[in-house]
Amino acid sequence: MSVDNQSSESTNDKDIIAINNMNKWYGNFHVLKDINLNVKKGERIVICGPSGSGKSTMIRCINRLEEFQRGSLTVNGVEMVEDVKNIEAIRREVGMVFQHFNLFPHLTILENLTLGPIWVQKKPKEEAEAIAMKYLERVKIPDQALKFPGQLSGGQQQRVAIARSLCMSPQIMLFDEPTSALDPEMIKEVLDVMVELADEGMTMLCVTHEMGFAKKVADRVIFMDGGEIVEQNEPHEFFDNPKTDRLQLFLSQILQH
Amino acid sequence: MQAKEFKPLPDLPAPLSTTGPIAWLKKNLFSSAFNITVTITITAALFAIIPGVLDWLFFSANWSGTTQADCVKDGACWVFIQAWSQQIFYGSYPGDEIWRVNLSLFLLACVIALSFILPAHLRNKVAVPAYLLLPFICLLFLDGSNIGLKPVSTDLWGGFSLNVLLAAASIIIAFPFGFLWALGRQSHMPFARSVSVTCIEFFRGTPILALFFMGSVMLPLFFPADVSVDKLLRVWIILILFMSAYMAEVFRSGFQAIPQGQYEAADSIGLGYWQKTLLIVFPQVIKIAMPNILATFVMVFKNTVFLLVIAVPEMLQVIMSALSNSNWLGGHAIEGYLFVGFIFWVCCFSMSLLASSIEKKLDTSHKN
Repeated sequence: MSVDNQSSESTNDKDIIAINNMNKWYGNFHVLKDINLNVKKGERIVICGPSGSGKSTMIRCINRLEEFQRGSLTVNGVEMVEDVKNIEAIRREVGMVFQHFNLFPHLTILENLTLGPIWVQKKPKEEAEAIAMKYLERVKIPDQALKFPGQLSGGQQQRVAIARSLCMSPQIMLFDEPTSALDPEMIKEVLDVMVELADEGMTMLCVTHEMGFAKKVADRVIFMDGGEIVEQNEPHEFFDNPKTDRLQLFLSQILQH
Repeated sequence: MQAKEFKPLPDLPAPLSTTGPIAWLKKNLFSSAFNITVTITITAALFAIIPGVLDWLFFSANWSGTTQADCVKDGACWVFIQAWSQQIFYGSYPGDEIWRVNLSLFLLACVIALSFILPAHLRNKVAVPAYLLLPFICLLFLDGSNIGLKPVSTDLWGGFSLNVLLAAASIIIAFPFGFLWALGRQSHMPFARSVSVTCIEFFRGTPILALFFMGSVMLPLFFPADVSVDKLLRVWIILILFMSAYMAEVFRSGFQAIPQGQYEAADSIGLGYWQKTLLIVFPQVIKIAMPNILATFVMVFKNTVFLLVIAVPEMLQVIMSALSNSNWLGGHAIEGYLFVGFIFWVCCFSMSLLASSIEKKLDTSHKN
């Protein structure tokens, strides 16, 4: 498939995600316009932009929570096609953390974490629990394992959600505004976990407005508006030397406070 | 400058005037002139009525005897109920074989108890198959012909035990059916959806009485002359279909209360359709829909008395034929109907208690 791509990286087999000319419509509303994005293994990408700019939709396309109508997507060498097995294969490689945590309220924290390993990866229960406890320790709440999600604070719930994704040992982690629903005091505990994850070399795509986090860990910051990628750059240049007037306006508005 | 230390204020008890029984009375019964009048009027009315009712029900009632002639006092004639008790509970089931009915009721009680006692990880593996097998095991015992017991024709089954067993057997089978119809109704597959919608709308839109008539009078016309399907079996199937339609709508309301995020989270960890449905959606739907599930159970249980219109000898039918028995003529209708009402009330109320204890058990939200 010969697509006129902005970079020659599309053929590079180090790319863990390759999005080519992705277009998506909700009915007649054109949400994503010609998205081209290549992500290398271990790369940390922060995506920002005004609400309605399509940033969440874009990362939700990567694990097929949303369908796109035109273009192509390859994740870890597997091209996304309309097929259940194929979608499941891609979902196994991709973990996702949501704005509203989406823990399963009827299961304990430990059961939330072991569900995937037991039912999807068919691991024995003991092994799944050992993995779960390992990741709960990494997000620093092993003592909450037997509680239910409703008994935890927002920050703790979001850390559980991160651990739940990690239990599936994904190659890529997607974060969809992971701190937007949290109280200010809890944002830090979640960001700390994410920074740690970044330091360990996880490939991460993160939709967030935490610019401090972007400056600290991102290899590349992407600015989206109106369904397209307006500008992307390494964080230093991105924040200090924005090339487009749209990004200048956006940055001046969010950094004023 | 050193920061000032923050000391939280201690918690104090609430003022006495807002807690305790006096405060409760004041707030709920005597809060305004209108409320005071209502409270006094109702209390006076209760004092006027209750002694007479209690006297008729208990103190001047006739408790012992065997025939109508033993009812000499002014109060209720409970002798009537006593004399007919075997028919009221077991219909015309042969006296020597009644243990089979009792065994069936006992098994039902055991399975219900089992689903409460078992630890969580065994509950699904043991209780669910036990529930699903129960109607067929009871059928084997009650009928008897297949397991070497004396065959008892279904015409002889009856009384309150029939109401209970028929309702239970319908509920148990209708539960998975209703769930499948509800899944079908929101499925993306046109065939599954249209079949489900048609079934649900037909059985929910038709009165149960009409369905019973259809089942007992019309349905046999469609069968070949030499095939006869047992009347009770037809009734059972109708109750299952009727109940499934209601359950499907109850489940659907539960489905709609589940946030989209739950499906997305299940998708993102790679669960397949049935895993997602059974592990994530189903348990939450049950919890949300529990009050409506109970309402449907109670409705179907009470609807079993409608079977009297097609001459199935269930409890109310037995009472009515007893009332027209020549030895008992002369107005025991109040006792008879009160008794039916009381028995049904006791059962439905126990189901209510059972359901609210299940609700508590399922509640993991820890909201106050």
